[in-house]
Amino acid sequence: MKQTVTNSGVGKWVTRMYDAEKAAGTLKFVDDLEFGPSLLYAKAVRSAVPHGEIISIDKAEALKVSGVKEVIVGEDFPYRFGLYLKDRSPMAIKKVRYIGEPVALVVAESEEAAEEGALKVSVKYKELEAVFDPVKAATDNSVLVHPELGSYEHVDFITPQPGTNIANWFRVRRGDIDKAFKEADYIFEEAVTYPQIAHGFLEPHCCVCVQDPVSQEITIWTAGQSVFTTRDIIADALGLPLSKIRVIAPPIGGGFGGKAGMTIEALCLAAATHPNLKGRPIKLFISREEVMLSSWVRQGYVARIRMAVNKEGKILGIKNTFYFDTGISAEYGANPVRSAGYTSTGCYYIPNVWTDSYAVYTNKPFGGAYRGFGMPEFMSALEMAMDIVAHKMGMDPVEFRLKNLLKPGLPTCTGMPMHNHALETIVKKVAEGISINKEEPAKRNGWKRGKGIALAIKAPAMPADAASSATVEILGDGSVKVLAASMDMGQGVYTSFAQIASEELGIPIEKIKCYYPDTQSHPYDWQTVASRSCWSMGMALKLACEDARNQLIQLYSEYWQCDPSEITIEHGVVKCRKLGKAEPIDTKIQNGFKMPDGKYKGGPIIGRGHFVPPDVIYPDIETGQSPKSVVHFTVGAVGVDLEVDPHTGEIVVNKVVCGYDLGKAISPLNVRGQIEGGTVQGISAGIMEGMYYDDKGLLLTPSFTDYKIATIKDIPDEIQYFWEETPEEISPYGNRGVGEHSMISPAPAIGNALFNALKVRIHSYPFTRERVYKAIKQFDEKGNVDFWEYPFAREQDYKQAIKSWD
Amino acid sequence: MSEIKVNFILNGRATTYVGEPRTTLLRALRAHGVTSVKRGCEEGECGTCTVLVDGVPMKSCMMLLPEVEGKSVITSEGLVGSNGELHPIQKAFIEEGAIQCGFCTPGMIMSVYALLNENPDPSDEDIKEALSGNLCRCTGYVSIIRAVKKAAAMMRE
Ligand code: FES
Ligand code: FES
Repeated sequence: MKQTVTNSGVGKWVTRMYDAEKAAGTLKFVDDLEFGPSLLYAKAVRSAVPHGEIISIDKAEALKVSGVKEVIVGEDFPYRFGLYLKDRSPMAIKKVRYIGEPVALVVAESEEAAEEGALKVSVKYKELEAVFDPVKAATDNSVLVHPELGSYEHVDFITPQPGTNIANWFRVRRGDIDKAFKEADYIFEEAVTYPQIAHGFLEPHCCVCVQDPVSQEITIWTAGQSVFTTRDIIADALGLPLSKIRVIAPPIGGGFGGKAGMTIEALCLAAATHPNLKGRPIKLFISREEVMLSSWVRQGYVARIRMAVNKEGKILGIKNTFYFDTGISAEYGANPVRSAGYTSTGCYYIPNVWTDSYAVYTNKPFGGAYRGFGMPEFMSALEMAMDIVAHKMGMDPVEFRLKNLLKPGLPTCTGMPMHNHALETIVKKVAEGISINKEEPAKRNGWKRGKGIALAIKAPAMPADAASSATVEILGDGSVKVLAASMDMGQGVYTSFAQIASEELGIPIEKIKCYYPDTQSHPYDWQTVASRSCWSMGMALKLACEDARNQLIQLYSEYWQCDPSEITIEHGVVKCRKLGKAEPIDTKIQNGFKMPDGKYKGGPIIGRGHFVPPDVIYPDIETGQSPKSVVHFTVGAVGVDLEVDPHTGEIVVNKVVCGYDLGKAISPLNVRGQIEGGTVQGISAGIMEGMYYDDKGLLLTPSFTDYKIATIKDIPDEIQYFWEETPEEISPYGNRGVGEHSMISPAPAIGNALFNALKVRIHSYPFTRERVYKAIKQFDEKGNVDFWEYPFAREQDYKQAIKSWD
Repeated sequence: MSEIKVNFILNGRATTYVGEPRTTLLRALRAHGVTSVKRGCEEGECGTCTVLVDGVPMKSCMMLLPEVEGKSVITSEGLVGSNGELHPIQKAFIEEGAIQCGFCTPGMIMSVYALLNENPDPSDEDIKEALSGNLCRCTGYVSIIRAVKKAAAMMRE
């Protein structure tokens, strides 16, 4: 029998934690914290050339500005940091590698003085030739972004190629690829590009660091997704014990992967650890322009996909080449490259696979984690390729997909058997939801209407040993303190955690509080990424709650002299129906129970739980094969009904229908929020977003005016969503992650719908008005169905780029 | 730089700030602890710093402190009752799941407040027009539209 009763447990539509403070504006983000008059402000001076040797840095004029305390340069803080590959120093040392790279840091008594000082630092460079095109960088080693690559430390599952610009090379070798292509009735080759895009979270990066001059202990307040990983990366680079670094993450204003790992903290530390500044807190808030210039981006992407298909429409083999444009650092970006690699047959069963997925250095801002982590890039290519192949073979695109579906039990491209899922049901529902085969007239005069579908898949992409732990303390009035160091960056994970605690403890959600992460108080969690929190931390938290509940029940059974199984906790009241006893949880729970023998027993009840995935084995470096390469996959599908104005190229999405198999919705209100938000973010990426550079590597889109993200006017007329609940085996409630998935496939679904509307196939994302217009024009003038634009280099057109791969 | 005194009404109370004339209203408010006004860009592009100046929604990063001399400024904190009771707009945002990270929320709510003062029963198009200067990266705006409609209904009652 279930021993707990609550109305606010798992699966209930409850409102969210911390929303009242957010609505009132009283919740404090890092930039809102007070540090008193000892606070100093830092401002970076940034490189104006894309690649060059630093000849001199003249600080004299800056130091004359009233309020400026210090100007720090790279040599003052000569440490290299990185999560998977230590290729990044917070400030350039001797050499700059992209426009926007910090070369000096001005520290002053006020933000204004720091800003003024930064303008007065003058830096001289000897310019070097730079490389911006990832295909060129990967295939021609005349410019090396990191000639020192061979000396950089890295984790075992990353394979940098010293002497080249390849920071990671992930391979899949499965079956006999040559035989598959020999036996094929049809061979297709398609290519797709996607430029870098930006997270566009509304809170810019901000952190405050201080080092105690005596104990040398460091405290960091940061807008980050990963307090423990930040701590660990810094401790490792500086050679400090973990216990001497405290990282505190107040609420953050959106993350989407862009605040994962370590971002600007080390730059701020360069000031906080400076001998002249030690002891004073230093604040580094970077402006929107600096965010666009110098923080993670989603990597640019070039994919070539070759497919071998037989007459019946079965895919026999796939040969993939992916170039991820990782900019000047792959310290985090090396991993989305793996993620796309080990999922490189998407939602399909393909027996013969050959994949090369590369992270390529270029002289641009660096790539890292972004919602979807390699999968929006790859699925934008694969789902478009699937559509092209279906059309060329005269097959129905939905049928072609279903025919090749990765059904439960079939092996993925890494050889891992696929678990149970309801993808077939989802695809059918989505196709029906947009009436995919029904031709309908456009609602707008002179516009063309089209419909398209794309499937989605993603596993949590993380090291095999990404662990979580949690503690749950039942307080003396029956309220509950949950310490689970996931970051609630808006996805609502604390509401989910409170629902889990409510479910397991029989205590109403109003009495449960989850605290924002602090490495000093919270037990360890790897990071808040990979859509892993409700699953991995969910496992730890559920165990912690069970532990606390068992302690409580044991004590009550002795106190009341009944069997533990006869005790229930109902809405915060402990009951033994048999004995007719019922009492709300009170101070006994912290002070101990006076037992029938007159002696006290108990003391504060603290439940504890921890979890590490028990059965994941890293894919083999040579072949990518593993009996279980990842913990699980969340699958889904997106259907888009849109119309396009052939006179302007403008796209309006009439309707999106999407569904995901998330195992179990712990907090439905938040699941809805993730689906709605991610869908619009995916549409925004598909229609308007791209980071563009001039020939010199200068970012042309450093603001929200030039880098457009969806406004309220850009949303679809209708978003219909649903989810299926096929339970996951190793999971607290059968749940799988869903935070990222809604962003994966809106863009390819739009691309496929555009083809349906215009009979023009645009291979270059995003589908901006200008590009759509050009594609229509090209079709009208030359009859070309396929439209390419290569975003990385003006001098090299797309087809030339492809040729040079052979 | 020399400092000047600026007298204005902040959330219904007579207030005097002392600051440099080059200080933006956004930075001045924040320096005085009014941190519901967020700095998402300081370039007038995102709307996280939206306040009402004499009833009109303004981007406080685009105004200098001296410009509010003698005027009334309302921020999201100012909508909360003295006993902590939230305004119907704030309540509707919570009930409809229109808040995720919350960074855009105070500014967004100020734009909604201005809209509903003028137009107690806005259409979808009215809402989109009024909120088109407030970016939100988390919610996809769908829940925000739901919340505005709910708030409008609550306020009409
Ligand atoms: S901070 Fe004022 S509009 Fe962005
Ligand atoms: S809730 Fe995060 S930006 Fe709107």
